[in-house]
Amino acid sequence: MVFGHREYQSTTAPLLRSKPEGPQNVIVAKLQDLISWSRKSSIWPFGFGTSCCFVEFSAAFTSEYDIARFGSEVIRGTPRESDLIVIAGTVFVKVAPVIKQLYDQLMAPRWVISMGSCANSGGMYDVYSVVQGVDRFLPVDLYIPGCPPRPDAVLEGLLLLRNAVGSERRPLSWVVGEHGITRPEMPVMRDLKRPMRQAMTEIRPQDEV
Amino acid sequence: MVAAETGRTVIDELHERFPNIELTEQTTADGMPTLWVDRAHVRSLLSYLKSDAPSPYSMLFDLTAIDERARRTPASQPDADFTVVYQLLSLERNSDIRLKIPLQGEYPSIGSITDLWPNANWYEREIWDMFGINVEGHPFLRRILLPPNWVGHPLRKEYPARATDLPPYTLPEEKQREDEAEYQFDPEEYGLARSGEDTDFLFLNFGPHHPGTHGLLRLILQLDGEQIVNSVADIGWHHRAAEKMAERQTFHTYIPYTDRVDYLAGLLNEVPYVLSIEKLAGIEIPLRAQYIRVMLSELWRIANHLVWFGTFGSDVGALTPVFFTFNDRERIFDIMEAICGFRMHPGWFRIGGVASDLPNGWKGLIDGFLDYFPKRIEEFDKVLAKNSIFRNRTIGVGAYTPQSAIEWGVTGPNLRATGIDWDLRKKRPYSSYDHFDFVVPTATEGDCYARTVVRLEEMRQSLRIVKQAAENMPAGSYKSSSRFAMPPRKEETMVAIETLINHFLSVSWGQPIPPGEAMIPTEGAKGNYGYYVISDGSNYAYRCHIRTASFPHIQSIPMLARGLLISDLIAILGSIDYVLADVDR
Repeated sequence: MVFGHREYQSTTAPLLRSKPEGPQNVIVAKLQDLISWSRKSSIWPFGFGTSCCFVEFSAAFTSEYDIARFGSEVIRGTPRESDLIVIAGTVFVKVAPVIKQLYDQLMAPRWVISMGSCANSGGMYDVYSVVQGVDRFLPVDLYIPGCPPRPDAVLEGLLLLRNAVGSERRPLSWVVGEHGITRPEMPVMRDLKRPMRQAMTEIRPQDEV
Repeated sequence: MVAAETGRTVIDELHERFPNIELTEQTTADGMPTLWVDRAHVRSLLSYLKSDAPSPYSMLFDLTAIDERARRTPASQPDADFTVVYQLLSLERNSDIRLKIPLQGEYPSIGSITDLWPNANWYEREIWDMFGINVEGHPFLRRILLPPNWVGHPLRKEYPARATDLPPYTLPEEKQREDEAEYQFDPEEYGLARSGEDTDFLFLNFGPHHPGTHGLLRLILQLDGEQIVNSVADIGWHHRAAEKMAERQTFHTYIPYTDRVDYLAGLLNEVPYVLSIEKLAGIEIPLRAQYIRVMLSELWRIANHLVWFGTFGSDVGALTPVFFTFNDRERIFDIMEAICGFRMHPGWFRIGGVASDLPNGWKGLIDGFLDYFPKRIEEFDKVLAKNSIFRNRTIGVGAYTPQSAIEWGVTGPNLRATGIDWDLRKKRPYSSYDHFDFVVPTATEGDCYARTVVRLEEMRQSLRIVKQAAENMPAGSYKSSSRFAMPPRKEETMVAIETLINHFLSVSWGQPIPPGEAMIPTEGAKGNYGYYVISDGSNYAYRCHIRTASFPHIQSIPMLARGLLISDLIAILGSIDYVLADVDR
């Protein structure tokens, strides 16, 4: 993409290089890359959840899964210090205004993950008290399927979001060049995983552990 | 049946004591004495049963309503548009009684009994909220589960169930402002004074989103300094309409919804539901299926207590336990996944048995856990229960007395922590719990620490049950051969056309269950659970009311927290062990 009249290269590749001939404690990077790298490496989630999914979300923080490997173990108690809100659980009509309020308090740049069937679409609960998907009133960056999704799925979702955050472009100056935020297109995992799934012929039988 | 005999005597007793009151007896599948009473007399009956009867029915176990206007087959019962159902429990007699009050008209009324039982308060608000039944003399008749500006009463039969039948949800800015204005707390409305003798109170909004509330629960604290003068619990943020859902899912396809009621205890939720249906359909469960149910249920009890233990620890400032317990929970989940194929909500028990036989090699998994876990419990004991900071935060804090616990409908470990050994696994052994040797742990103080000790010991006892079930696992079928068992048997479908038709119908439309009603209370992880299932002979429930443990527990929190500090409230919330899906259903 074009930024500041300069061709800009892809994003998820390693950004930081120290000059081989120079001193080892100096790194040379584009400011843009440096900011993206630090953003994607420290996505701090807001400690928020509504139902069952939150338990699996919390499980991702414990040592078996260890979300700290990806820099997101810093749960914040206030939206003002968080980068990410994970809508972990059912979105109820009664609580929707509260969620909106919390989202509004997140400081930009901010991201939203919708975790689990309820938050994605209402899921099993097509019923009067449940909002049929949090995207009815929040802009969702990433959906994690499952009821509830496994902690592994939370980590996979987080990795995908990291990639997206790393390649997001938020111009440092709006004087020249394109305005606004440029977000990469999110991959459709169903399509990406289809060949692998189709190639799978042996599935563990039900009567074996 | 001891319970049935005592049931007979209570009906005779009432006839004798109230010769002028017409009491119509109803036979129910669960054998619980059930009487229809005119609403003019219900108060005197309830007050007699609570206070004057020998071995009184001192706990209001459940209170709910039924919209009778849409029955497909008329039930043999007094004419009613709505029915209000009171269910009382006598711990001394180990017996229940159910009183049903027929009400006429579109929006009928009934008298409040909040002066008899304090926990009637929320139940009565719920029947107002859900059915539009006016409760006369109620101190605070407002919506409880739905937002204050909601229109309609969802459990009435004419109310549409699906969100997709209603206009799509949107949240424009002005609506958000309106909603937030609705949620604003007004102390006068709740009868709370703004100032005391020489102080102005501070009102602190604690939740609905707060790490200490374990989910969507809102407490409003009236504070004098850091001391809680009074508090109000505001629930309904997690109302997932599980009861309305039962009226459109077939009996079989409702099972996954039960998992999500007390979502920390997965399969334990399914037990009371399938037991009620099996009672209605008269299904005998093979012994192997019963043992499998017991074994997995007890593993779930441990899994539930692990989450409770870890989160309670982190609530009171000990960050280590949560990492310990979540790792051990993963071990239980590994077993669950191997056997049921799912971690948190297996949906694996079936009407008439379980979904499939245990896989080859299951014993090794269980044995591995039985080897590993006992020493971990000792470690938990050391890391938290013997920790002096923890003891200081919990000993003497938030105590129930045996009387107050019964008054408020408290059950499970919270009741046993006051010294009452009420455990339905012992008192009314279902699923062949009488085959197992285990102790019902109790404590006497009833405070946060007593609840901790009881639950730790419960984990040890559950482990014993798992061990016995695994070692003595009987051979035989994992599913009943009854025609009501789901999914229906496949063997003969390819040889006899009638069987094929039946199979096709019950798989696609669901198996109709004979008309009647049943509730089999069971011992869940958090207390007593019961699914009050009413069938009118169709393939889905006419009404399914869920008696959960957490609903009365949360209702009693303002009573426990009065006069304490905010930090004590956190300890109380952590020690009660509740889940909001269980409170709001």
